[in-house]
Amino acid sequence: MNETAAASASAVDEAEAEGADGARAPALVGEGVRRSYGDVVALDGVDLRVEAGEVFGLIGPNGAGKTTLVRALTGTTDAEGDLRVFGVPPREVDPQRVGLLPQSFDPPERLTATELVEYYGGLYDDARGVESVLRDVGMADDADAWYETLSGGQQRRTCVATAIVNDPDLLFLDEPTTGIDPAGRRSIHRLIERLADGGTTVFLTSHAMDEVERLADRVALLRDGAVVAVGPPDELIAEHGGAPRLDVTLDGPASDGLVERVDERVAASLAGDADAESTREGLRVRGVRPETIGDAVDALDAAGVAFESLAWSEPSLEDVYLRLTGEEYSPREGRAIPSEETPAAPDGGDAPDGGGR
Amino acid sequence: MTRVGRIGTEATAAARSFLRRRTAVFFTFFFPVILVVIFGALVRTQPTGGGLFAEPAGYYIPGYLAVVVLFTPLSRVGSEIARHRDGGRFEKLATTPLSRAEWLLAHTLVNVAIIGAASLLIFGLVLAVTDAEPVVSPALAVLPVFVAVGVALFCGLGAVLGALTDSQDGVIAASNTVALPLLFLSETFVSPDLLPAWFRPAVAASPLTYFARGTRAIVHEPGAWVGDLAVLSALAVAFLAVGAYAVPRTD
Repeated sequence: MNETAAASASAVDEAEAEGADGARAPALVGEGVRRSYGDVVALDGVDLRVEAGEVFGLIGPNGAGKTTLVRALTGTTDAEGDLRVFGVPPREVDPQRVGLLPQSFDPPERLTATELVEYYGGLYDDARGVESVLRDVGMADDADAWYETLSGGQQRRTCVATAIVNDPDLLFLDEPTTGIDPAGRRSIHRLIERLADGGTTVFLTSHAMDEVERLADRVALLRDGAVVAVGPPDELIAEHGGAPRLDVTLDGPASDGLVERVDERVAASLAGDADAESTREGLRVRGVRPETIGDAVDALDAAGVAFESLAWSEPSLEDVYLRLTGEEYSPREGRAIPSEETPAAPDGGDAPDGGGR
Repeated sequence: MTRVGRIGTEATAAARSFLRRRTAVFFTFFFPVILVVIFGALVRTQPTGGGLFAEPAGYYIPGYLAVVVLFTPLSRVGSEIARHRDGGRFEKLATTPLSRAEWLLAHTLVNVAIIGAASLLIFGLVLAVTDAEPVVSPALAVLPVFVAVGVALFCGLGAVLGALTDSQDGVIAASNTVALPLLFLSETFVSPDLLPAWFRPAVAASPLTYFARGTRAIVHEPGAWVGDLAVLSALAVAFLAVGAYAVPRTD
């Protein structure tokens, strides 16, 4: 609940003014943001800058500090460091300009979707029409059902509606599509794209890497309370995603020395920039480009590999995530373990919110 | 949206939420009914005897009213805070223009309406099933004011309890722990002469005492009630202020 919004109006106007170089002021700036819960360090000197109109994705493992960072930026937790939202501290920003979907949010369960949107809209000076908001999130047909009778996905979509009802300039969406079916997710994605096209700054946290890769202009990866990489998804993928790969599902258990044999063959056939490793399903051959898929298959045959299926894919944001968080899958351990490239993420435990930190 | 508009919006949502929880509504009204039936109709008062319930039936009208004025706001506001906190609702509301004071005022208004209705029911039931004969005078019009101010006071205290405890279970336990001694040591069901002489000054420390004295001066033993209403009002303002400050806005 906002106490000091009115006093901040002039400061916001001032902060929004264009600089001498004509550039718009950033929507969000955080420098050296720190937050601890007892001995657990949730945020360990986070620096970030989100430009106005940008869709900014925040990814990271459970307990990395994503939700704490959202809370720090919305002024709902106390954090050290310099935080600015439209040029002013988070608790002084005009609430009309900010929308929030918390990660863990259960609105009054015996209000209908319509009543919930009316309720949250009624707290603002200026709010959008309820029907239009519910249409945007695909809830127009179930608008009169009590929240508690809606499915999990419908509930989440209704929650998204409460975050956009004031037509915010800055929208925080903390895992907006959790529990939503693919069609519902697409409608939320389209909504975010429309909002971004209209100039809304969107701060999106999600565990759905495809979602972030599709929607975000830039992505920050948070690990152990610190930003370990930030940039446009394609740049992060190019830098950290690794090579295109061919995943091989074996027709039976791998024989001794199979990986080594395949590794030798593909290295010889694919100009030396390919290698092989074992996976849960069988094998993965890295460094296979579209034009060398045939050569890779020949190498597999030559190595005596009997396989059920092959799947070729380019690196994605998920690969970046797995590599930079040190959670790449290791079949020898039978679980996700740190890669050799990055130090292991210590178990930070869950923060008091019971979910992400 | 004006301050009044925001309070109205919050109060409307809170009232709808409550009225649609049928069991909550039922027991909110059934609890005081049980009390009146047991102590007013079954146990009955013994004006000629000693011990508890030795006063005329009308003496206990403030006590029956105090049950809902005290217990209901404490548990309802405390639980509402716990429910809001558990559901991330305060985190959401912190980014809206609604202030903590407005939130508490809205929920106080809802409680005043609910408890006002429950008090009316109790009053009617007391007249129907006991021998109580309330004094009819123009001062009777002030009785709803006492109820409203008393409810506001205990809404503030309920907010403090809700903020201090970390779960709905904790709120219920804490509110019962606070309410039970207040109920019986505030000149409601237990007259001061039944208490040890050394303890009697402590009765004045209970806010509920001023509710009981004032309402009794209206409905049973005509007397001055303005002072009691003034003290009760001052305490209500103080408790609401502290309660508003206690309402969470962060994790």
